[in-house]
Amino acid sequence: MIDDDTLDQQLREAVPYINDDGFTTRVIASLPAVRHEPRWLRAMIVVGLALLGSGVAYVIGGGHVVREGIMEFANFPIWLLLVFAFGCGLVVGAFAVIFAIRKTPEVRDLTRLDF
Amino acid sequence: MELTDADLVARVLADDDQHAFGELVRRHQSSVRGLLRQLTRTDIALADDLAQEAFLRAYKNLRSFRGEARFSTWLYRIAYNCFREDARRRKELVGVDEKQWQAEHDPQTVDPALRHDLMHALSLLPLQERTAIVLCCQNGLSHDEAARVLDIPLGTVKTNVLRGREKLKRTLAAWAPN
Repeated sequence: MIDDDTLDQQLREAVPYINDDGFTTRVIASLPAVRHEPRWLRAMIVVGLALLGSGVAYVIGGGHVVREGIMEFANFPIWLLLVFAFGCGLVVGAFAVIFAIRKTPEVRDLTRLDF
Repeated sequence: MELTDADLVARVLADDDQHAFGELVRRHQSSVRGLLRQLTRTDIALADDLAQEAFLRAYKNLRSFRGEARFSTWLYRIAYNCFREDARRRKELVGVDEKQWQAEHDPQTVDPALRHDLMHALSLLPLQERTAIVLCCQNGLSHDEAARVLDIPLGTVKTNVLRGREKLKRTLAAWAPN
């Protein structure tokens, strides 16, 4: 009687590799179509909502809130404004890098980062 | 650098990249179709239809793949479920049909070549044992992985593999030329 290892080996060898013969093409053809929203539409929605929100805030605040904010900002020492600007730059830059990596498969696969 | 299955899955999820999914299909089509051919007893057309359905389901449910098991294991599970649902529809899981099928295929009439004998002996095994043997011995899944694919206890898989092996050995020993 044959042993387990021999039997397993014979079982594995008994199964031939099945050639694709168009199988993958048929599967891909049967997949649901990818729905890509136009990118400009997304951008317009985001920008539009931001403008609308700003407008609503301005109207509700009567306008003086913005004016007072700018005046107050102008009174800050210059070094504090520079630090604030630098910090904002860092935050925006970090988000831009993360977004770029997420949207670039080659870089994402290379770094194997999982955000 | 060849991308791993996990990389390809990530691409499909992030960008709806159907080319990446195509690569996954290309990599696993042979083993999935082979498994289904064994389960459907070499009904190639049915096996390929089920394999296509399995890959389609895999694509639609890719987000539920959490990477805890190998992608191939997850795929086998889907393929096995497709087969089971189809078999239920066709009433092939009923024991009477199993016995009838075995009675119709007399082992003494098959081609004496070892490969042919082996595959025939395999096709004579009851479904549960055949599936366990195909997954564990032919496709190299661990007992634990096969238990996940078949959604049955680990002990049952081990028992089915053991019984299946013994039957195959007995059958092949009887057919071996003296």
